[in-house]
Amino acid sequence: MTHARTRIFSLGILALSGALALSGCASAPAEPAPTKAAATEIDVEHVQGTTEVPLNPETVITFDMASLDTLDALGVKVDGLPQQNVPEYLSEYAGEEYLNAGTLFEPDYEAVNAAEPDLIIVANRSAAAYEELSKIAPTIDLTLDWENYLPSFRTNVETLGEIFEKQDEATTALEEIDGKIEEAKEQATDAGTGLIVMTNAGEITAYGSGSRFGWLHDELGLTPAIDDVDAATHGDPVSPEFILETNPDWLLVIDRDAAIGESGSTARQVLDNEVIAGTTAWQNDQVLYLDSVPFYVVMSGLGAVNQMVDQITDGLK
Amino acid sequence: MRQKSRRTWSRHRSALLLTAAGIAVVLLAALSTFIGVSDVSPLSILEGGPDGKAAQLLVVSRLPRTLALVLTGIAMSIVGLIMQMLVRNKFVEPSTTGTAESAALGLLVVTIFAPTLPLFGKMVVAAVFALAGTGLFLLILRRIPVRSIVLVPLVGIMLGGVIGAVTTFFAYRLDLLQTLGTWMTGDFSGILRGRYELLWLALGMTVIAWIAADRFTVVGLGQEFTTNLGLHYGRVLALGLTIVSVVTAIVIVTAGVIPFLGLIVPNIVSIARGDNVRRSIPWVAMLGAGFVLVCDIIGRVLRFPYEIPLGIVVGVIGSVLFLYLLLRRPSRAH
Repeated sequence: MTHARTRIFSLGILALSGALALSGCASAPAEPAPTKAAATEIDVEHVQGTTEVPLNPETVITFDMASLDTLDALGVKVDGLPQQNVPEYLSEYAGEEYLNAGTLFEPDYEAVNAAEPDLIIVANRSAAAYEELSKIAPTIDLTLDWENYLPSFRTNVETLGEIFEKQDEATTALEEIDGKIEEAKEQATDAGTGLIVMTNAGEITAYGSGSRFGWLHDELGLTPAIDDVDAATHGDPVSPEFILETNPDWLLVIDRDAAIGESGSTARQVLDNEVIAGTTAWQNDQVLYLDSVPFYVVMSGLGAVNQMVDQITDGLK
Repeated sequence: MRQKSRRTWSRHRSALLLTAAGIAVVLLAALSTFIGVSDVSPLSILEGGPDGKAAQLLVVSRLPRTLALVLTGIAMSIVGLIMQMLVRNKFVEPSTTGTAESAALGLLVVTIFAPTLPLFGKMVVAAVFALAGTGLFLLILRRIPVRSIVLVPLVGIMLGGVIGAVTTFFAYRLDLLQTLGTWMTGDFSGILRGRYELLWLALGMTVIAWIAADRFTVVGLGQEFTTNLGLHYGRVLALGLTIVSVVTAIVIVTAGVIPFLGLIVPNIVSIARGDNVRRSIPWVAMLGAGFVLVCDIIGRVLRFPYEIPLGIVVGVIGSVLFLYLLLRRPSRAH
């Protein structure tokens, strides 16, 4: 990993110097690709291989909300994205001046092709489209590794920082987050046991270490309320009795119905029953409803991680 | 004389067997009641007293779940039997005629346009859609000249596929795929007191079906035949379809689709006990309840303390049995 990163880094430096040498061209956006020298490209290693990416690419399409979030925080505007699930705080990207590139799972290939992008970003939900998209333009897959959530998030931020020559901004932002994470860790470690559940159409699923929400246990140090944590990695259906029996001090709830804007059976209604009322978490009013936009929709990214870590620090007080 | 005594004996034996089956279902229900994550056993209930945690869980969580399972098993199996009588084909049931898919489409429509509607309202909309879907199935059937045994359920499965595709398309566009997924797989993990009571209505419909069973058999023989016997064809058909649709909608709203249940249970009963509908109905009810209880126990025990949804367990066992019934001896089906 470090080896790869140094390589990207050194290539980045190389490319940077090349770009400086060609700064005359770079400042004239009307004349793009043909005049670019080889040094303005960097090799980016990612989940599905290595891709040669133009440095500071002009037209960018992202199918990854986390990358959109990170790039926005770094001051880079993308050009196209799936506009259906744009979170409130990034709502300007739902506007008409941005290309609607399909859905989080399924790209609109024709629209993407017509936009002639210089870089396409895919991740967890859109990783399957990598093959097809890389025929259109240089594509990188920034799929997040749930089992190494924070390091993986960090790598993605650094990679984007290098591609868009925003290394300094990226470093500053990551340092800031590091401080917050330390604070959250203290809070989470002392909070007692916690159980992460998601509600969807009245059903409850439980998540443990190594799952998409597992970093709360693995990296923030929240003690899992289940001994047998390995079993609960994929969100297994559980009964209210299961929650009563694991009896967590804190119940952390992600409301999927709310995540997709469905106002029917919200998590509160699902959990408000005679069985769950018997848990320590419910009786001590220690049920923490996590904001599903960063936790479920965006999943990582500079803005979202900031929000999530803040919510854990404030919530577990 | 001898003939008569043999018949009496056979009736006795039959009653005896039915009682034994009834006892088996009660035992299964008891077993189901005492399986779960918390410690609820006759002993812990005695120790804790009537206000103890075990006794409370029994009332709030265990009994409702077991009751919901028994009610669903009985209702879906008998609904399957009614469909088979109405269409005169042994391979139909709500999940092979587009009924379940139509109900799910109805539920999707409610979720999109009136998500705050109470459960009963959702059930009504789902039932109306189920009724329309089942009616469409019957209309298509009437226009098909060759009505071979296998063709009828195939038409139903295709119709279900088309309706399912429409539902999936809108669910996909509106990001409701996972929600749709929970409707399409029956799951009893969330059943508690206050969240299953609609199923009693399903049982009520089933009792009506039980009383009217003979009429459905007659309607299956055709309009002319029915009218000749002095029955109102349209009315009986409408009654049957309404029962099927309402029961399917109730089960989907409370737990989700349980595939093949209404198909395999009546077929097994027919193989074992013959085709006298009035006599086989108690068997269908009994076997339906027992089968659902067994499948739910499997789903709860295999990955304890997590659960495998009932719909998946029934689907796996049911599709194997379905294939077996299809390949067995086609001549047995009418």
